[in-house]
Amino acid sequence: MKIVVCIKQVPETNDVTIDPVTHNLDRRGLAGVMNPFDKNAIELALNLKDSRDDVQVALLTMGPDDYAESLREGLAMGADEGYLLSDRAFAGADTLATGYVLAQALKKIGDADLILFGRQAVDADTGQVGPIVAEFLQQPQITYAASLRLSGDNEVTAERLLEDTKQTLVAQLPAVISVRSELNTPRYPTPRNIQLSFAKPLTTWHHDDLDLDDTRLGQAGSPTIVTKVYAPEPVKRELTKLAGTPAEAASQLITALKGRQLI
Amino acid sequence: MPSPTSAAEKLLLQMVDDYTEREISPEDMPMDAAGDFPAGFIQKLTDTGFLGLMLPQEFGGAGFGPEVTAAALNHIARGNASTAVTLEGHFKTIDQILKFGTPALQQELLPSANDRIFAFSMTEASGGSNPMGIGSTATREGDHWVLNGDKIMITNGGLAQVYCVLVKTAPHELSVFVVDQDMPGFSFGKREDFIGLRGTPVGEIVMDHIIVDNDHLLGKVGDGGRIGDSAHDDARILMGAVLTGIMEHDLKIATDYAKERKAGDQPLTALQVTHRKVADIAMRKETTKLLFEKAAQLKANGQPYSEEAAMAKAYGSRVAVAAGDDTLQILAGYGYSREYPVEHLIRDARAMEIAEGTVEKMRSAIATAEFNK
Repeated sequence: MKIVVCIKQVPETNDVTIDPVTHNLDRRGLAGVMNPFDKNAIELALNLKDSRDDVQVALLTMGPDDYAESLREGLAMGADEGYLLSDRAFAGADTLATGYVLAQALKKIGDADLILFGRQAVDADTGQVGPIVAEFLQQPQITYAASLRLSGDNEVTAERLLEDTKQTLVAQLPAVISVRSELNTPRYPTPRNIQLSFAKPLTTWHHDDLDLDDTRLGQAGSPTIVTKVYAPEPVKRELTKLAGTPAEAASQLITALKGRQLI
Repeated sequence: MPSPTSAAEKLLLQMVDDYTEREISPEDMPMDAAGDFPAGFIQKLTDTGFLGLMLPQEFGGAGFGPEVTAAALNHIARGNASTAVTLEGHFKTIDQILKFGTPALQQELLPSANDRIFAFSMTEASGGSNPMGIGSTATREGDHWVLNGDKIMITNGGLAQVYCVLVKTAPHELSVFVVDQDMPGFSFGKREDFIGLRGTPVGEIVMDHIIVDNDHLLGKVGDGGRIGDSAHDDARILMGAVLTGIMEHDLKIATDYAKERKAGDQPLTALQVTHRKVADIAMRKETTKLLFEKAAQLKANGQPYSEEAAMAKAYGSRVAVAAGDDTLQILAGYGYSREYPVEHLIRDARAMEIAEGTVEKMRSAIATAEFNK
């Protein structure tokens, strides 16, 4: 079984400023660390590796050369190999352009049964790249998984934890899963594994190593335009609990929706 | 691209900082209050691979060198000096087995140093800085040795499972043997109730007719004094690192408090009296850091480091007590309260004016080294 965990390097500080021109995060000159939520995804992969003999765990990231540090940390946690996608042509990518390059790299890596993501990156907080990769690869996706198990030879069952509800979903493999931090406590890389991680393969792929449509890359391939950055006012929503049997609840729902002229 | 060595060191110290912040620092005050480490603490430290940090990779360790090992203990001591000293006692003992043990003894013992704590014991009731005054003996009987005696005030005594013990093999001859707590005739004695480094167990072992093979002798018969000195030297570098960590802890407490606290309308940061104290703490910290780093660098390069190691500990321990005192004064009543860690940082630093050779003995060693130049 091959698992690929997609990770991101984020600024170490919380004091990230907004570029006044592009309205994007200004990450220039900031020391980076692995996105903390990505460690939960790596831990999940390593737990599966610990429980079965046939699991290989690869890490994948896109960014400048120094993103190799986060890959190395993941290798020190126990992953088997790392891939860094680094090229000036990829710079300035939004989530769509990032997802595109990752998806093309995943096609080249090939045969991944599970593609894992942390629930979101702590710098931009979008949580979009996992679902975008799933769409590019035309694979089933489960986001915000708070528990996950292999429920058959070719199937995964995950409990999806949302703001006010839980869902249990089953997906056929290969699948893309993003995980919540409630899933596990990531292990620390041991001093010995830190040393040994430098003997593990870490491959850098540049633009010409991948099959890419140049119009989808970097800033030019990014439809996102940030016009304003602000903290939205929290929206208070009305919640009505429907009681009774499913049939009764459905009847109440239809009545309520008709009453509001929504159907 | 950084070299793999420096990248590994950076990643290690990042992990050490992360682990210290989450797992070790929160236990600092409880350990001081309880005079012990909490249940499961050493096991977690072991599971995270800290015991093998400087153990060569051929024995299952990580194989980090003297400079990184000292830096790691420095970072740990910023949050909890007791834990750093427990590791110091373990590492200095491994060092002596690496330097003086036969390949067979190393192969027998060192793989287990990844999950068993080792300790080096010299002191007896007759004193720690008077090795010829010890009463413990090893007597040769056929192809083995019989060990008898009491060793006290052992860093990690009672916690460690493997002990290097300094004994007399003749009236004026010192030797070091390695004993295991599982050997018949081995038992633990009392545990000390010290005022500082209270999370580091310090205790006694009793040897009652312990029989060991000749290959459990470190170096040669009569090498005990040399091996003891070597253990002190290695320990003193690491103690310099721990003392630097204590002063970094002091500095953080002092500056955080001074930024928040007002005297009248002025913040403490605007007062020259605060400037002087904070600057003194920072200079003491930085000087000790340079001393232990130099000693570690000399050791890594295979050069003599005994004098520099003594300086790091002798200088660092005295100024760390003074740094704690200045920090306490900045915090005033809060500094004197057990609710804050400042007072126990002073007690922790004070231990190192005595442990691994008193500051008086350090000064003699430094002066002798200077006379001999």
